[in-house]
Amino acid sequence: MICCKECIDLLYDYIEGSLDQNTSKSLEEHFEECPPCIAFLNTYKSTTTLCRDTLNQIEIPDEVRRTLQSFLKEHKEENK
Amino acid sequence: MSFTQQKEDKEIEEALVKDFQAGNLEAYDKIAELYQQKIYALSFNLMRNQMDAQDVTQEVLLTLFRKIHTFQGKSAFSSWVYRITLNASYMKLRSKKKEPNISIDELLPSFNSAGFQQEKIQDWSENTESLLFTNETREVINKAVGLLPEKEKVVFLLRDVEGLSTEKVSEVLDLTIPAVKSRLHRARLFLRKKLSSYFEEYNSQKGET
Ligand SMILES: [Zn+2]
Repeated sequence: MICCKECIDLLYDYIEGSLDQNTSKSLEEHFEECPPCIAFLNTYKSTTTLCRDTLNQIEIPDEVRRTLQSFLKEHKEENK
Repeated sequence: MSFTQQKEDKEIEEALVKDFQAGNLEAYDKIAELYQQKIYALSFNLMRNQMDAQDVTQEVLLTLFRKIHTFQGKSAFSSWVYRITLNASYMKLRSKKKEPNISIDELLPSFNSAGFQQEKIQDWSENTESLLFTNETREVINKAVGLLPEKEKVVFLLRDVEGLSTEKVSEVLDLTIPAVKSRLHRARLFLRKKLSSYFEEYNSQKGET
């Protein structure tokens, strides 16, 4: 049986679905016997989703958008 | 996004770049409109400061305007834009006081000599719903990402937040694919650990009351 350390090293490829069948199978066997690693897998996945959903929400504030617009206008006129 | 849609977008973008290189200023406006959100979001997430992100976005848009003739199409146009954005952000960060770097290794899980987990692992993944969009959680996440070492942070932002493919990230950062994967994995482990402390504490407080 593979150990927890190996299991965690393989998580990335496991989630991507890029492990070969045998490795994938021994990983799943490990999960069956090891609740801590299942908890680890679930929280590893949740981490990615949570961080993405939080940081994805960055929008350009209106005042910045206005500044950018007039900045570009100015520079294009200089270069005409 | 479907594959055909992606392909079409890529063709439209290539045509815009060609038009702009030929001196068409309207093409530049469209390119600026297409990219300013991406440039702003990436630089904001790297620097966590609106003023700095605005400065960097301005600078990048200006660089695109002035240096478009140096773009030769060897890599994707978007990779070129991301690289310029990263360079400008790093220049800005370097001019500021740097926070001491913390070691990422101490935040990785710990194992006994046989390679089995030593710490208790709580599965908080099921009950993040109610916490997800509170300001406190957002604050914790922002802070945790802010603590990531630069090398891991940039890979994490490009791949997991901006949604670039592993191949694209390796092109932008000029890294091998295994290097991208290992940095991303380390970033996720680091963030998982940080979020775990927060959620576990939250859950235990809830259990007490
Ligand atoms: Zn295990």
